[in-house]
Amino acid sequence: MMDILFLLLSFFAILGAVGMVSFHQPVHSALSLILTIIALAGLFALLSASFLFMVQIIIYAGAILTLFIFIIMFLNVKEANLPKEPNKTMTLFLGSIALLPLNFLILRAFYKMPSAVIPVSEDFGKIKPLGMELFTHWLLPFELISILLLVALIGAVVFGRKEEA
Amino acid sequence: MIANSLFAYMVVAMLLFSIGLLGVISRKNIFVIYMSIELMLNAINLMFVSLSNYHHDMGAQVMAMFVIAIAAAEAGVFLSLIVVLYRRKKSLDSDLFRTLSQKEAA
Repeated sequence: MMDILFLLLSFFAILGAVGMVSFHQPVHSALSLILTIIALAGLFALLSASFLFMVQIIIYAGAILTLFIFIIMFLNVKEANLPKEPNKTMTLFLGSIALLPLNFLILRAFYKMPSAVIPVSEDFGKIKPLGMELFTHWLLPFELISILLLVALIGAVVFGRKEEA
Repeated sequence: MIANSLFAYMVVAMLLFSIGLLGVISRKNIFVIYMSIELMLNAINLMFVSLSNYHHDMGAQVMAMFVIAIAAAEAGVFLSLIVVLYRRKKSLDSDLFRTLSQKEAA
């Protein structure tokens, strides 16, 4: 059962990613990226990371990609505004061949690792132990992330305001 | 059997990461480039979570949450940059970003 779920979810994740890279219209790319994100959320659930499963669906699929599709529709991109990519298929094909050795090297390193046999404990990945971990061991990075979000907010406002004169 | 081996998750994560890298290096549409960056961040998140399950350590899941927060910050800045570029040039070609480095080259 778990195997079938894993194979289905990873198939949809990779299908969505391939569609995202190869579609011409940005809206189609964004919709297939949503497919990938939701399939990845399912994979997180298979890995018993229940809190990250919810965060992935709420923040990625719910907030980031919805904002993204909103911007695409807001800009109202016509066919003439899209960049022309006459040899897109050729570059995608050559690039995928060029990336094969990297995949081979990294996957060979992981192939040597012994497979896990001990199942994880009952409350692994639940919200309470994750919060305990976050606010005891990772408190300083958490605060730094909040400063980063503030800086990004100010930066977005500065870029987006109307120019004077 | 497949679903609890680390190697299967790593294959999926590396494939997704390679597809994202491919999108960054071979497309010209800045929307697609941005989405490829998001895809790469997601692939690294999958790696973090599967390694967290493998080592029974919750720290990697906290790191995956940080990656999601950074992706949200990046989304805000990148989308406002795209809006500014589109307002000026009426195009989504990433080659037009060259004018950021040279004054009115295009």
